[in-house]
Amino acid sequence: MSEPGSVFTEVAIIGAGAAGMAAALRLVEAGIRPLVLDQAPAPGGQIYRQVATPALGGEILGPDYLAGQPLVGRFADAAEQGRIDYRARHRVWWAEADAELGGVTLGVLDGGGSSRIWQAQRLLVASGAMERGWPFPGWQLPGVMQAGAAQILLKQGALFTGSAPVLAGSGPLLYLLAWQYLRAGRAPRLILDTAAGLGLGEMLRRPRQSFRARGYLSKGLAMMVALRRAGVPVLRGLEALRAEGDERLERVAYRRGGRWESLEADWLLTHMGVVPEPQLNRGLGIEHGWSDDQQAFVARRGPRLETLPGVWLAGDAGGIGGAVNAEREGRLAALGLLEARLEGSFEAQLEGSSTPASFAAERQALERARAKDLDARRLLDALFRPPAGWLRAQSESTLVCRCESVTRGQLEQAIEQGAFGPNQLKAFTRCGMGPCQGRLCGDSVARLLAARTQAGQNADPREVRDIEPGAERMDAVGYYHIRPPLCAITLGELAAAADPGANVKTSSSPQ
Amino acid sequence: MLIRHDKARAVDEVTIVLDGVSQRVPAGLSVAAAVLMLAGPAGYRRHVAGGPRAPLCMMGVCHDCLITIDGAPNRQGCLEPVREGMTIARQGGQP
Repeated sequence: MSEPGSVFTEVAIIGAGAAGMAAALRLVEAGIRPLVLDQAPAPGGQIYRQVATPALGGEILGPDYLAGQPLVGRFADAAEQGRIDYRARHRVWWAEADAELGGVTLGVLDGGGSSRIWQAQRLLVASGAMERGWPFPGWQLPGVMQAGAAQILLKQGALFTGSAPVLAGSGPLLYLLAWQYLRAGRAPRLILDTAAGLGLGEMLRRPRQSFRARGYLSKGLAMMVALRRAGVPVLRGLEALRAEGDERLERVAYRRGGRWESLEADWLLTHMGVVPEPQLNRGLGIEHGWSDDQQAFVARRGPRLETLPGVWLAGDAGGIGGAVNAEREGRLAALGLLEARLEGSFEAQLEGSSTPASFAAERQALERARAKDLDARRLLDALFRPPAGWLRAQSESTLVCRCESVTRGQLEQAIEQGAFGPNQLKAFTRCGMGPCQGRLCGDSVARLLAARTQAGQNADPREVRDIEPGAERMDAVGYYHIRPPLCAITLGELAAAADPGANVKTSSSPQ
Repeated sequence: MLIRHDKARAVDEVTIVLDGVSQRVPAGLSVAAAVLMLAGPAGYRRHVAGGPRAPLCMMGVCHDCLITIDGAPNRQGCLEPVREGMTIARQGGQP
């Protein structure tokens, strides 16, 4: 456990988004000075990126973005006052939990390229979400970007695509982005939605969830009405998509009702929902299970958001719930951590007491709000579910693994030849072995494998097409083994980390 | 190319050298955002298999933003903020 030259901290938090900031502030209230490691230059995460100095006003970026200002402000103030040890532009490339003694060892790379080993008694993971990898032919062409990337460009520098973009996919973020472009006077050219309708049937089937989701639904409806009034065409029932071009995107082709059409375009912005960022959770060895609702692998958490001994998981990294829920979960996980700390203390053992009553009341209120919000979220999951069999409806030449240029056809061939799991498929085809470490192809690969095994080895490959594998099948197939480094790190940086003398910079480090 | 909205908050600018040409860009952008703004997505990067690539996610996931910064190749351009005097070279290669 003890690495020479490492630095100790009682609590480390990974991520300064909504969950990480809220957790840090709750710990500060309890008199703890947490270490907060975040890869961005400023706090806020993806959702509240640069919200302290917004690039554009709320009339374009929307009220939900600016709603993050108080949280970011409080976090920045506490960091300024030294009550939070906030480290911007720090990335965790190695994380190992000690299953017996508790405690976590973290390899951390700073913005200047030096690495250091931290030892934390307790760890709170709040590493957020990423966009789901959504393969279609040509998604690797310059000019194709994820909707989240387009939003980052808005928040970072009020940057819009030079010509009106085509938007494709499904999910709230797709319409939020369209609305933001519209408000900026740069209406999108066309929206292609994989959903066949508005989902009214789904809403009627889930009256309680619809009621609880009324806030989300009315916001979404207002955006759709605004887009319709502005004459932005929305075409539903997208079955297949193709980005075409030589050195960059020149044309977008799409199929609806069995018919292909196309239009010239410089930019195609895509979105198929978000999924938990897997590297850190997986790297730590936290157990995962497939969520049929979320159509994603989700870490298993206990009622106090605990995972491994001494490790808590909050916010979208533990399952998609959105920014408001992430803030709530940050506080809840912090409470769980504080409770565990009290329970483990000498005084508590002497008195036989457990947790203070104030924690219980605070926890109860947070848990109640969370349960309602997550229930509403299930309706959104159903409305914006990725289409079953999407990948199999695209051409065989579709790149599934962008990094190693592995196509669906190559993967299916390897599966036919007997590759039964993701790691074997990796060895057969190199899928998932590139710099993104499988983050964009991992789920697709698991789906292909699960659909094939669910259909049975003798099934006609065409019958496999529409199978949407269930949780049992997805869990049986599993996911790539994730090993350190958890992010890209050069050999030089790694070598510096391995040499204790090279990574000790502050006097606080024990020699 | 990307266009900066005319209602954008006024910020300081920094000078970067992109493929040998000195250019002014707003402070606070990532290298990848600055390159997309100045030069667009075409020519950003060439994949080892020969195809053209450009950033997909802008948040550290896809690694299609890899670029040479101050002589160091394959840096993640979306995670690196622009700095005064920074030298950036796209890894566009030959088609």
